[in-house]
Amino acid sequence: MALGSALMVIISRNPVHSVLWLIVTFFAISGHYIMMNAQFLGIVNLIVYAGAIMVLFLFVIMLMNLNAETEPKKNKWLKMAGIIAGGCLLLVLVAALKDAEVKSSTVQLVDGEIGLIKQLGHVLFTEYVVPFEVSSVLFLSAMVGTVVIGKKGD
Amino acid sequence: MNGLQFEALLPYTLLAAASLVVILLIAFRLSHTVIQITGFILMCAVMVALLQASALLPVAIYPIFQIDGFALLFTGLLVLCVMVVGLFSFIYFEEREENPKEYYILLFLGTLGAAVLSISSHFISLFIGLELLSVSLYALIAYLRNRNNAVEAGIKYLVLAAISSAFLLFGMAMIYMETGSMEFATIAKKLQTSNGHSILFITGTGMMVVAIGFKLALAPFHLWAADVYEGAPTPVTAFIATASKIGVFAVLLRFFQTIGLSNYPMVITVFLVLAVASMIIGNLLALRQQNLKRLLAYSSIAHFGYLLVAFLPGNAAGVQVAVFYLLSYSITLLIAFGVITLLSSREQDTGDLALFRGLFWKKPVTAAVLTLALLSLAGIPLTGGFLAKFFVLATGAQQQLWFPVTVLVITSVIGLYYYLRVISTLFGEAVPTPVKKTLHPFFYLTTYTSLIVMVVLLCWLGTFPNDVIEYINRQLLIR
Repeated sequence: MALGSALMVIISRNPVHSVLWLIVTFFAISGHYIMMNAQFLGIVNLIVYAGAIMVLFLFVIMLMNLNAETEPKKNKWLKMAGIIAGGCLLLVLVAALKDAEVKSSTVQLVDGEIGLIKQLGHVLFTEYVVPFEVSSVLFLSAMVGTVVIGKKGD
Repeated sequence: MNGLQFEALLPYTLLAAASLVVILLIAFRLSHTVIQITGFILMCAVMVALLQASALLPVAIYPIFQIDGFALLFTGLLVLCVMVVGLFSFIYFEEREENPKEYYILLFLGTLGAAVLSISSHFISLFIGLELLSVSLYALIAYLRNRNNAVEAGIKYLVLAAISSAFLLFGMAMIYMETGSMEFATIAKKLQTSNGHSILFITGTGMMVVAIGFKLALAPFHLWAADVYEGAPTPVTAFIATASKIGVFAVLLRFFQTIGLSNYPMVITVFLVLAVASMIIGNLLALRQQNLKRLLAYSSIAHFGYLLVAFLPGNAAGVQVAVFYLLSYSITLLIAFGVITLLSSREQDTGDLALFRGLFWKKPVTAAVLTLALLSLAGIPLTGGFLAKFFVLATGAQQQLWFPVTVLVITSVIGLYYYLRVISTLFGEAVPTPVKKTLHPFFYLTTYTSLIVMVVLLCWLGTFPNDVIEYINRQLLIR
């Protein structure tokens, strides 16, 4: 489901259809998270991506008024080069990883509650409190950057 | 977290606080001069805090950070670079932007990112540090947004850095899948107990090398370097060339050492190829450049190739040499970019080599300073660059890495040609140009003084390196 709708995102000619398929993809991914007992991640994924970011996407597309006709002609050779490069990466990765046996003991869940909000908060504010604070600085930096670049010229 | 850990983290907290102080100063509408001086004082405070913290080391904030002598050396180097970059920024931005103040917030935040990289011993802190560094850099590169060049450079860096972050995360995920841990030491322990070389781990490391290679502009991932160096404001270029690369290199060294990657022949081969390719491509492409900023970009690609030769053996001597090399390299590059900043006009940065023609007859001191910096980059005796390159060669030869050592020698000779070409331009026939009046005598004076102090430091490093090497050794033993 996720793969199919992700494929549809790329194949669709109409950008609005692409965005709608993208929403389906996000729902499918959230479903995966919830099935893996990571409820918090699933819900956040829905709210942030399927909710906020998709609305932004739709607005941008509406404001830009993209149509299939106005789309600039892409260079054929560039397309070919892209396909070859992507195919090479896929080939290398598949070749490298096909022999890798995934051990059954790689990730052992202590109990089924690891994805719950309570556990997450506990870990976040004890063991990982410093990176948590640093990531707040990261957002500050992103905010300052956007304001600086987006400021109206005078 | 206990008191000791807080005290050891103090320099980093101060760095974060510095950016907040600048925000507050902007909110109170204080002048550029006040902000510049406050920023300088804050950086001095960070240095003092670092010296204070050095008595407490090593301190580990398990499992995220490892603050030891190694981290201290790199953070100190970073803060010194940023001090100098900040000094250059004043005369550069005072002439150009209506409002050059936000620049300092981003500069300090970027430094914090690089400093976090140098103390991180966990994938999470690595990633957050790297993102903090790159997010600040996106905005810094495109800071002069009225210039097409700058915006182009910013977008290029944004797209490529985002892709490289994706590679980094994928690599981390693979290593986590294999070992079940994101902390360097635990990963190393898990790898020792598991028999044989696991494919997942090697592939994950390969993915991470792509991201690191991008940040360090190593050869197959170097395509952004010249355009970004040329398009970014000159002080920002100096920041990218020194501080951001120092931070990334620090975390690479720590990862490499903790995991003991030198035991994996495959990884060594990959780094060998990167080093040789960087040396050859960097030096060859620099030959044809007509712009000093682009030339320095290619030269820095080559220099990180040289640095990887010292890094390949993965022993303690390699780390010591790497620190010394980074020290002399950053001083040299800061001098070169400082000169470009001084000569830049209001409309555009002085990069074109034609503009440097006959500089010696107009501004003898500036030309002499630039000449010394270029000689150091080329590795002429009596400068820091020569000894740094000599130590790299010595470490490589000790480990019998004959192939990269030979390439290093040959490419250095090629490199000498284009450095000398620039120098000969400096002493060529002068073209009359209108004299630019200086706006801020005080800041021009301090910039000149800092340039001359750095040149003296460079020569001191080249003639009496013992004190510095002993200091580096002593710090590296604290772990």
